[in-house]
Amino acid sequence: MFKSTTDVIDCLGEQDYIATNEIGTVLFLAERLNKPVLAEGPAGVGKTELAKAWSAASGRELIRLQCYEGLDETKALYEWEYAKQMLYTQLLRDKLQTLLSDSQSLAQAADRLAAEEDVFFSQRFLLARPLLKAITSEKPVTLLIDEIDRTDAEFEAFLLEVLSDFQVSVPEIGTIKAKTQPLVLLTSNNTRELSEALKRRCVYLFIDYPTLEAELKIVRLKVPNLAPELAKQAVDLVQKLRRLDLKKNPSVSETIDWAKALVLLNAKTLDKETLENTLTILLKHEADVQRARTSMQREEQQQRRRPPDLDDGSFSGNIKPIKRI
Amino acid sequence: MEDRIVQFIAGLRAAGVRVSLAESQDAAQATLHIGITDRAMFKSALSATLIKEKKDVPIFEKLFPLYFSMGVPPLIPVGGQLTPEQQALLRAAMRALIGELSDLVQRLMAGKQLSREEMERLAKMIRSDRSNRPEDIPRLTRQMLQKMGMGDLMEQIETLLQQLAEMGMTREALDQIRQELESNAQNLERQVNQFLGQSLADRLTEQPPQKGEPDLMDRHFGSLSESEIKELRHEVARLAARLRSRIALRQKKGDGKIFDAKTTMRENIRHGGVPFEMHWKKKRLKPKFALICDMSESMRDVIEFMLRLMYELHDQVSRARSFGFYDHLEDVTDEFSSNRPDEAIIYVKRRFPYRPYGTDLGFCLADFFHTYMDAIDHRTTVIFLGDGRNNYNDPRLDLVQDLTRRARKVVWFNPESNYEWGSGDSDMLKYQPLVSTVHQVSNLRQLAEAVDKLFS
Repeated sequence: MFKSTTDVIDCLGEQDYIATNEIGTVLFLAERLNKPVLAEGPAGVGKTELAKAWSAASGRELIRLQCYEGLDETKALYEWEYAKQMLYTQLLRDKLQTLLSDSQSLAQAADRLAAEEDVFFSQRFLLARPLLKAITSEKPVTLLIDEIDRTDAEFEAFLLEVLSDFQVSVPEIGTIKAKTQPLVLLTSNNTRELSEALKRRCVYLFIDYPTLEAELKIVRLKVPNLAPELAKQAVDLVQKLRRLDLKKNPSVSETIDWAKALVLLNAKTLDKETLENTLTILLKHEADVQRARTSMQREEQQQRRRPPDLDDGSFSGNIKPIKRI
Repeated sequence: MEDRIVQFIAGLRAAGVRVSLAESQDAAQATLHIGITDRAMFKSALSATLIKEKKDVPIFEKLFPLYFSMGVPPLIPVGGQLTPEQQALLRAAMRALIGELSDLVQRLMAGKQLSREEMERLAKMIRSDRSNRPEDIPRLTRQMLQKMGMGDLMEQIETLLQQLAEMGMTREALDQIRQELESNAQNLERQVNQFLGQSLADRLTEQPPQKGEPDLMDRHFGSLSESEIKELRHEVARLAARLRSRIALRQKKGDGKIFDAKTTMRENIRHGGVPFEMHWKKKRLKPKFALICDMSESMRDVIEFMLRLMYELHDQVSRARSFGFYDHLEDVTDEFSSNRPDEAIIYVKRRFPYRPYGTDLGFCLADFFHTYMDAIDHRTTVIFLGDGRNNYNDPRLDLVQDLTRRARKVVWFNPESNYEWGSGDSDMLKYQPLVSTVHQVSNLRQLAEAVDKLFS
């Protein structure tokens, strides 16, 4: 249990994750109020990283459920291992025969078999998927449900049911209740509206692209070999790129990759050539690369055209100063 | 404090944010855990429990300072730090100028706060209850202070200080008095500001929840400003996601009626041929489209959004070809596939330079039949995107008839409203009986529904 918001932020810092005050407050609240966290934001700002850091900071194991279109209960909750059951049936055929050999009628044989049913529909043949693993875990865990906006409404409704009570009923076995409450983190890229019921259930956290200072701190932390001056220039450029109307804004992970690339290339300054060669690490669409190039060219032209600072009092222009008589 | 939170939630609801009962309970509990000493954390706690959508964040930011303002330091009597002789000098100066110094200066010197009744009276004088927007508060503050005589304040302070200087007050003492007076004036302004904020907050709480402005999706394309169009462009991706899931659901429901022997046998080899898993035939034929778009000026926005939607849904479409027409017809598929829709429209428009009374669909259809008939087969749906206005040229209904025979379906998307069809040079009513359906697409919502029907 974290003691306070600052405690959360410090522990996350120990895991090399730079958290804002808001993130710290929300995570602290989520644990105290026993509610899942819904983290929304553009791709690549560190939502999944947050889950990893949070689980490490609270000493829990991380169980991850990656969502996609068409994800259903079997892939998320549990599945029966048919193949294993078939195999056991085949191998135990002889034993079965001896067991049922002394039954007089078909009904008796069926009853006898029904008594042994529990063998074939037991925990032995149950394939636990992430959700069930999280529920049946002996030690406390963190459950990360990644990109929930890629699933459909049916899965959301099912998830809501599981998240409310943290118990699952398997018809053949019975109801399985969670022994410990997992910490749940849901991430979404906001590609579609999530259902109201799910949102009400969670504590909401919106993670946006970081500010200049925050991003600089992150780069200095993750890529310590990069010269501070160069790091500042790099982060400046990325912040500028985000203000252009690009198809896909460069994310924090791409900034870190770029910084690592600069270190590998032994770049001393951010000159035109280095930029040209490495721009594709930041921008993944050809159209965006073109836009960035044109914008940088335009800026260069503006710089060149701007007249030098006139602080020597001299006059430069078309109008001649009137001579005082 | 809980009352204040309840009032804040009422204010949020009045502004259109949907806050449920469970969430308000969460907010109260969160306050217990976080405490109210750290304002930033308290704000984050409320935001995390009450605001669940990005678009509500600006409303929260606007209303939070109204309900939970920081305390304003009180006014202090000026001259408390001066020596007794200097204080005596000060009093003498005040007496000397008694006729000239305004009420406000005397109040500031004495450090007298404004009482609640006085502030209410002033507020009534400037009719502050007429406005319900937090943006007006700075203006109203200035008005209230003007009523109290703030305009002359600087002058009067100078007069007082001059008098004191003449009477022999030291430089430092003068500066200190000036500083204290100015800080008092600032605090007074902040108090007025806070008072106005709180009365606005109270008014908002009592108001019933207002009906918001009509959603951008329901606004006519022609009435949108440039920034609103930008906003809508972002919406298109989410709209397409919604459409895609609807299409997928429809297909899923339609599946599973006919037994698929081949797939069943293949999938059950691992079960020794025993059919543990049954497989059913899935109907997965994707539609083909041919878009014929009117390239006149008024159609620009509609075409852009239509093509954006089509692009977003391209994984549900087998093949889509686009044609633009004005006074002649041209194949514009390449332009739209290689550029962003808003840029592609500009390039394409250059190929159709403006001519007065240029639109001639009949002539363009003849062109189409001549050159591009290979784009149409029995699986293709033809979509006409236009207002059906031909400048009284020949509408070539026979060609449209031919088209309906060859293609699977012909639909018409018309951005004009129903009652305008057939007026003036519009041939819409002549085309209507020939095509399968005509949809009105004057705003994004209608366009999305029309596109949805295409896939059903």
